Amino acid sequence: MALIMGMDIGSGTSKSVIVRDGKPVAYHLLPSGVDYRAVAQKLREESLAKAGISASDIADTIATGHGAGNVAFSGHQASDILCCARGITSIFPSVRTIIDVQRTFTQVIRLNAAGHVINFIINEKCATGSGCFLDIISHVLQIDLKDAGPLSLGSDNPVVFTTGCAVFGESEAISRVSEGASREDILAGVHQALASKISTLVERVGLEMDCAMSGGGALNVGLVESVEKKLGFKLLVPEQPQFINAIGAAMMAENGVKAGVSLPEPGSTKIT
Amino acid sequence: MSEEKKKKKAMNRLKSMYPLRANIDQAYERSVEATKAGKPTAWSMVNWWEADPILKAMDIEIVYPENFGAVCAAMGKAQKYLDRADAEGFPTHMCGYARNGIGYTAEMTELGHIPPDAPMGGMPKPILLLASGALCDARIKWFQSLGRYLDAPVWAVELPHPGVEESQLPGVREKSIQFMVKELKELVSFLERLTGRKMDWAKLEEIADDLIEINRIWYEINEFRKVRPCPMHSRDFWSCMNASLYPAGDTKVSLKLYRDMYDEVKDRAANKIGAVENEKYRMVFGELPPWHALKIFDDLAERGWNFVVESWAYHAPKPIDYSKISDPLERIATQTYQWLTGYFPDALKEKEYMGYFAYPYLEWARTYQCDGGLFHPLLTCRTATNHLVLAQDRLLNKLHVPSLVAEGDIVDLKLFDYADTMRKAVVLEEMMDHYKQVRQEKGFEW
Repeated sequence: MALIMGMDIGSGTSKSVIVRDGKPVAYHLLPSGVDYRAVAQKLREESLAKAGISASDIADTIATGHGAGNVAFSGHQASDILCCARGITSIFPSVRTIIDVQRTFTQVIRLNAAGHVINFIINEKCATGSGCFLDIISHVLQIDLKDAGPLSLGSDNPVVFTTGCAVFGESEAISRVSEGASREDILAGVHQALASKISTLVERVGLEMDCAMSGGGALNVGLVESVEKKLGFKLLVPEQPQFINAIGAAMMAENGVKAGVSLPEPGSTKIT
Repeated sequence: MSEEKKKKKAMNRLKSMYPLRANIDQAYERSVEATKAGKPTAWSMVNWWEADPILKAMDIEIVYPENFGAVCAAMGKAQKYLDRADAEGFPTHMCGYARNGIGYTAEMTELGHIPPDAPMGGMPKPILLLASGALCDARIKWFQSLGRYLDAPVWAVELPHPGVEESQLPGVREKSIQFMVKELKELVSFLERLTGRKMDWAKLEEIADDLIEINRIWYEINEFRKVRPCPMHSRDFWSCMNASLYPAGDTKVSLKLYRDMYDEVKDRAANKIGAVENEKYRMVFGELPPWHALKIFDDLAERGWNFVVESWAYHAPKPIDYSKISDPLERIATQTYQWLTGYFPDALKEKEYMGYFAYPYLEWARTYQCDGGLFHPLLTCRTATNHLVLAQDRLLNKLHVPSLVAEGDIVDLKLFDYADTMRKAVVLEEMMDHYKQVRQEKGFEW
């Protein structure tokens, strides 16, 4: 079976996955910056170099994410909701509910037994409940985002945020810092606020087990723990949660190639 | 064949739509000419037939700033007026129609004449701003603002809002219609004082009858859309609704053109000619469309989406017998009241106590056999938005019909994400396929 590339050009980071026979063989990630077209090209070149292959070895590339339309060498784009569904079920076939915490939004997706989407909800008009909120608070606390999760686990008195709004939340975090609250307690409080918002999305779309968490937010152990506490059960978290949509994109392309679907010309905006 | 040509073929527009649309658009030119000739023109808002027949019977030309907003948006001319309203200090979260109308009016007032680049020749300075209490309270404040720019009187015609179960109590209907008739009598007196003209009651009789007949035919046309494949797309509905709804254009001409349309749609239904080639998904549309992005319906038609029905609020009322009502004012009031309450008895029978906004979606999704819904909540309008989440829930839970919410505005294209809506549309297709199976398993007819 030929190699397939899935690309997820997100607002924070861009990810690529090369798969063969449904199995990822190479991962790569770059900050997206502001030029999606350039980052897509660079991501492709570095991915190919990392895997030790050339562009001609790739039978198809499919793009998803915020900047999917900028992947000039891809024949088609795919919805990130479908990619997330396909990506998760390739790893956890039993999953029926996905909590996907990305930088600019969080979405909760319901699946049927075949792994097809039967409902979804997105909090896209608001940063509350998304990774962006964590970015903002990490900046206030002058810590690296990747340290936010482990640090929060050391909290013994989480700050209670009175707002779910990221903008007001930033002001509140500054106030708590000036009052002497510890970074650990502030971060734990932020995670609880995020978990609260996420749980309302889960409730709205309707929970069915098993439930997985994906996206960059799932790299944050503190957030995962808070969501688990709020929902009252353990979440399935893939090893590389931030690559799930890219994996899903590659799966969709691979299925298309297997089915003999004729692909549109590169540069077209066909949505799969 | 080029991609563009393929897209043109995906949606099969009604031939009879074009002259009907032209009849609507001519209202602008007629009002400008009338004003030049010293005849009166009024600006009116959609009042669901309650007040416009009276203006028509008194030979007052009417233009509709709401329709003008849709026209400006569809022609890509709205941004200038939206920016002007912003500069005048009006908030950007206000209704797009209102912002467009205020921006246009501010520019016209400053110039002292119709802006030369105004779409459709623009709207001339009115002698009257006729507001309505139907559905949206913000519209009255909008016209009050316009009145200050235009130095023109504002008259608001009120009507009851029977959106509760108690409206079905004995006597409520009669009292409501009496109230509306009283409102209309006061409007007649006011117009006679304002224009120095007397009401032509015989002409009002004729116009009232024409409008009732227009709505009956328009209702019947839309009934044909229940067949598979649906012969008429929502695009044609929106292009032609104004001759009924406002009613823009000459009513005799509109009546003839609606009859032509009836014949065409009936013929299509009989011969199984669909509005979309290869109808795969039968869709209900919630609320007014993004007028600035109507191309999205062509893109969705490419995917086999046929919009077979849309928000009840812009449809004709369920026909009833008006022949025993001798007073034309009472006939007019009864028709408007029927529009407001026509779906209530069925809603109550089904114990769907959700007011008069959400229930018709349930009835129509069932009778038009819809696979899914596309809802367009207007971020700038709570009246056109608050019922859609409820309708979405009820459609899914009661009929297993999923839907997609794409937020936006009728005029302001900045509030609508075209690409994102298309990406989510693909996901909705997967959901519609799933729920089609669920409906079949549960014994639904479609």
